[in-house]
Amino acid sequence: MSNSFIIGQYVPGSSIVHRLDPRTKMTIIFFFVIIVFLANSVGSYGVLIVFALLSMFITRIPIHYIVKGLTPVWFLIIFTFILHLFVTREGTVLFEIYTFKVYSGGVIQGFAIAMRFFLLILVTSLLTLTTTPIEITDAIEDMLEPLKKIKFPVHELALMMSISLRFIPTLMQETEKISKAQASRGVDFKTGPIKERAKAIVPLLVPLFVSAFKRAEDLAMAMEARGYHGGEGRTKLRALKIEKRDIFVYILFAIVIALLLYTRN
Amino acid sequence: MKNTSSSKLVKLVILALLGTISLILFFLNFPLPFLPPYLKIDFSEVPALMAALIFSPFAGVIVVAIKNILYLAVTGAADPIGVIANIIAGVMFVVPVAILYHKYKGVKSIISGLVSGTIIMAIGMSILNYLLILPAYAWFMGWEMTDKVKWLTIIGGVLPFNAIKGIVIGLLFVPLFIKMRSWIEQKQTSFV
Repeated sequence: MSNSFIIGQYVPGSSIVHRLDPRTKMTIIFFFVIIVFLANSVGSYGVLIVFALLSMFITRIPIHYIVKGLTPVWFLIIFTFILHLFVTREGTVLFEIYTFKVYSGGVIQGFAIAMRFFLLILVTSLLTLTTTPIEITDAIEDMLEPLKKIKFPVHELALMMSISLRFIPTLMQETEKISKAQASRGVDFKTGPIKERAKAIVPLLVPLFVSAFKRAEDLAMAMEARGYHGGEGRTKLRALKIEKRDIFVYILFAIVIALLLYTRN
Repeated sequence: MKNTSSSKLVKLVILALLGTISLILFFLNFPLPFLPPYLKIDFSEVPALMAALIFSPFAGVIVVAIKNILYLAVTGAADPIGVIANIIAGVMFVVPVAILYHKYKGVKSIISGLVSGTIIMAIGMSILNYLLILPAYAWFMGWEMTDKVKWLTIIGGVLPFNAIKGIVIGLLFVPLFIKMRSWIEQKQTSFV
């Protein structure tokens, strides 16, 4: 079971951010996403930027990993900035490009929105960079605990999630193996019109489904042979525990919120 | 073949693995040449359709949900609105196919299910984009979106995209169903 995840962004490390309880990280990110929308002055954005950059440096993740995670959104951030530059008509005219007038309000607003976007992406990607998917599902299971009262099957959901995660590498390998086997028999996955490509996937999916069902039956049998009997009274291999550092981070974050509210106008 | 106590667990594990297959197919997406690049076609609805045919429409919904939650846990919550939109689109596509199939059985019910699923998804997503998704994105990024821009995005992007997506998945699923029909029917009887 020591198979590491091939997909995903997790970068192993031993920083305090890595060792925080995943519930702490998720709670803080949840509130961070909300307070980002409260920032409306240079000071309040400054507070958030300092917080985000500080957390980034504490993780000690090489900067190119973080930049790589941001690449798909650079375009969107720049596009939003330029859109605001030309559409917003507030403040004084700074300069003219042909018939377009660029207003100071546009520059300020474009910059603020781009910053907001950048902060959101940076902080949420810090979660997936420092937390394994399995820790995230453990945290989700724990945080959904109250829903058990209304008979929501929290344990079953968490079980399905962790089985799914565990089998991503296995089934990816299998997909690759089958597609190579079919390609060697002359199936063409890569070229041709969409209609032909859709049909080419059929001989890939048939064995994939059949073997997934076989695997599932074996796994269920193995689980029951080892005494699996549902979520009731089950102990955990990875128990979540709130440590001193979690409380410290909560206090720090409360200070950030207070500073933000203070610097806001 | 299976006794009742373990068949529930087998079902859970099967849905989990179908969710994994769905996620893998989700990553093998490709954009369409004439539509905006953020609208990408993938075959991740196929495992959900399989679950919906073998078990129930609700099983299909679970597979769609697992795929999207896994996607969030693996790649990070960069685009929560897109994830919610994907869940809703998946449900609108999978549920009609499953309902029609469980009522009438056979290839014809699959084809009519895929056609009605495609229509419901294309029109439903257009309405939802107009009322909720596009305004949510606009709010998120501080854009001002006029009605004209919204209509353009829907007529030129959302509507044809979802229609083509439904048709392409249908083109794959009908031959797949014909090939796997006896296997599907056999599995149905082993999980009552």
